[in-house]
Amino acid sequence: MQTPSNTASIKPDVLALALADFASVVGAEWVLRTEQDKSHYQDFFAVHPEQHQPAAAVAPATTEEVQEVVRIANRHKIPLWTTGRGKNFGYGSAAPVMSGCVILDLTRMKKIDFDADSGIVVVEPGVSFYDLYDYIENNNLPYWLSVPGNSWGSVLGNALERGVGYTPYGDHAEHIHGLEVVLPDGDLVRTGMGAMADSPLWHLHPHGFGPNWDSMFVQSNLGVVTRMGLWLMPAPESVISLTMELDQPEDLGWTIDTLAPLRREGLIQQSPTIGNWLRAIAVKSVRSDWYDKPGPFPAEVVERVKRENNIGWWSAGIRFYGRESVTRASADIVRKAFEKQGRTQVKERAWLAGQPRPPVPSFGVPITFALKNAGWYGGRGGHVSFSPVLPQSGAAALEQLKRTWRRYDEYGIDFHPGFNLGQRHLTNINQIMFDRDDADMCNRVDHLFKALVADAAELRYGEYRAHISYMDLIQDTFDFNDHALRRLNETVKNAMDPNGILSPGKNGIWPATFPRGTY
Amino acid sequence: MRRFNGVFSRGARKLIFVMALGVSVNAVADQETVRSEGEALFVEKCAMCHRAMGMGTWQLEQRYSKEQAWLENRESLPPAFVKHVVRNGLGIMFSISRAEVSDSQLELIADYLGKEAQ
Repeated sequence: MQTPSNTASIKPDVLALALADFASVVGAEWVLRTEQDKSHYQDFFAVHPEQHQPAAAVAPATTEEVQEVVRIANRHKIPLWTTGRGKNFGYGSAAPVMSGCVILDLTRMKKIDFDADSGIVVVEPGVSFYDLYDYIENNNLPYWLSVPGNSWGSVLGNALERGVGYTPYGDHAEHIHGLEVVLPDGDLVRTGMGAMADSPLWHLHPHGFGPNWDSMFVQSNLGVVTRMGLWLMPAPESVISLTMELDQPEDLGWTIDTLAPLRREGLIQQSPTIGNWLRAIAVKSVRSDWYDKPGPFPAEVVERVKRENNIGWWSAGIRFYGRESVTRASADIVRKAFEKQGRTQVKERAWLAGQPRPPVPSFGVPITFALKNAGWYGGRGGHVSFSPVLPQSGAAALEQLKRTWRRYDEYGIDFHPGFNLGQRHLTNINQIMFDRDDADMCNRVDHLFKALVADAAELRYGEYRAHISYMDLIQDTFDFNDHALRRLNETVKNAMDPNGILSPGKNGIWPATFPRGTY
Repeated sequence: MRRFNGVFSRGARKLIFVMALGVSVNAVADQETVRSEGEALFVEKCAMCHRAMGMGTWQLEQRYSKEQAWLENRESLPPAFVKHVVRNGLGIMFSISRAEVSDSQLELIADYLGKEAQ
């Protein structure tokens, strides 16, 4: 295990003064400081439960209150850690990288502003996917959400963390257009056309005049985003969802090579997802339902899982949205491409406007049941994701699959791989499930994760997103020209946030006031 | 430009559950069945996990019948127990902060589950 995490040395009397000042702005009720209050901002899926401890939390309700909280934090040099709804499970929940931060909890900011003509919603950080889904349904708005596998979290926070969904709008960060941001000194800026006061163009035009700063606030600690414009998908006339059941691990290679050109061409407009048998059963059963010994599942048990669930070693999901004639033609092309390969069971689910929507994420309906996989081993469960980005090639994917699989077996963790096809890349999302009550297992998970990052870095593959415990580890692998990008990030950080009060250590970006690893 | 600033409820989640049981009702009628502030808060704050397609419902199905896994059907759910679990978590359920569910809101939810829901 690592030693206890970095902790900001904030004197108790300074913290007390800051909390009193926060209370004068947000009200005493919304400064949360008891031991129980603090427990809600720990990482629920921590393999290092002693790390990432908050000092307190403050929950403003308006942008003006956020500005004032940030100014107070500067005055007292109190580091804040920003969270939308704190549901970033597997990546740190609401917990800070550096212990001793005060959590800036934006869950009370729940305004929704909807432009129904353009299909653009402007949300505050506390709006969950459920909130927005219900809003759209209750107002009969002709738009669909793209929701992630766990939809309990913040729409804004998920997009800023580069979360993904299943529809053609599934690259959430790509659909951010126009932000309102509280800067580290408490100033307020609007990006893009929003820089022109009261402009009707704020969220319509994806750029502005001069540099577009939207990306500066994505996976970043350079500001507190208080409003975000997000483009939504017009409700489709039809959906065809194909699931290809692929019998053997090696089928991954040709599957990716079959799908990749269709994805590049634009025939497939969303990100196909390929997950193994464990992905299918971990959300609806527990390990002991299938196998009660340590070590990898024997081949005969895997075959039983496949048979009893009518699934392959892999299940690949490809979905088409839009006009019925177009979705039918597109689905048939993909179906034929797979049928040429043989050995593939193709399942189809076709939907037409007016029919009840299947309550699953690929139909834009939020769910939380995917989180149940945290209970796979029993006990108080958890998971982290190891998610390197790969070239979009079957050979590269197979090579990475075998290497990762060997590591899971080496550390005695059940292998749970998945691959998503981006437009030109693969994201290889590997879930690492564990039992938080099993210290030995937590230790193995920690070492497994580090080994996987090192293996990927050898091939020059980096991760798209990471848990708070591993942000530095991963940032270290982005090493061109002696970590020139990190130097750039930290130059900007120190210029904008000289007191280093916003989310120190986020994505491996540290301010001079709290240098990495020296607490 | 049409703009909407409105209320929302999570009544439709119940609809999905009903659909899963093979019974058809319409969403509007369903929303009208929200009987109390406690239920409305349960729908807003808890239903994502404790109605259809929710982590809590799926997890509890490991230990209870399908009907009892649905918290609102549970025969015995003392309010004090509900409050304890919400603030402390249980198994793979996460604890919930006062910023997300205030103490007064939690009282109403606990009363709803303890007295009204069955």
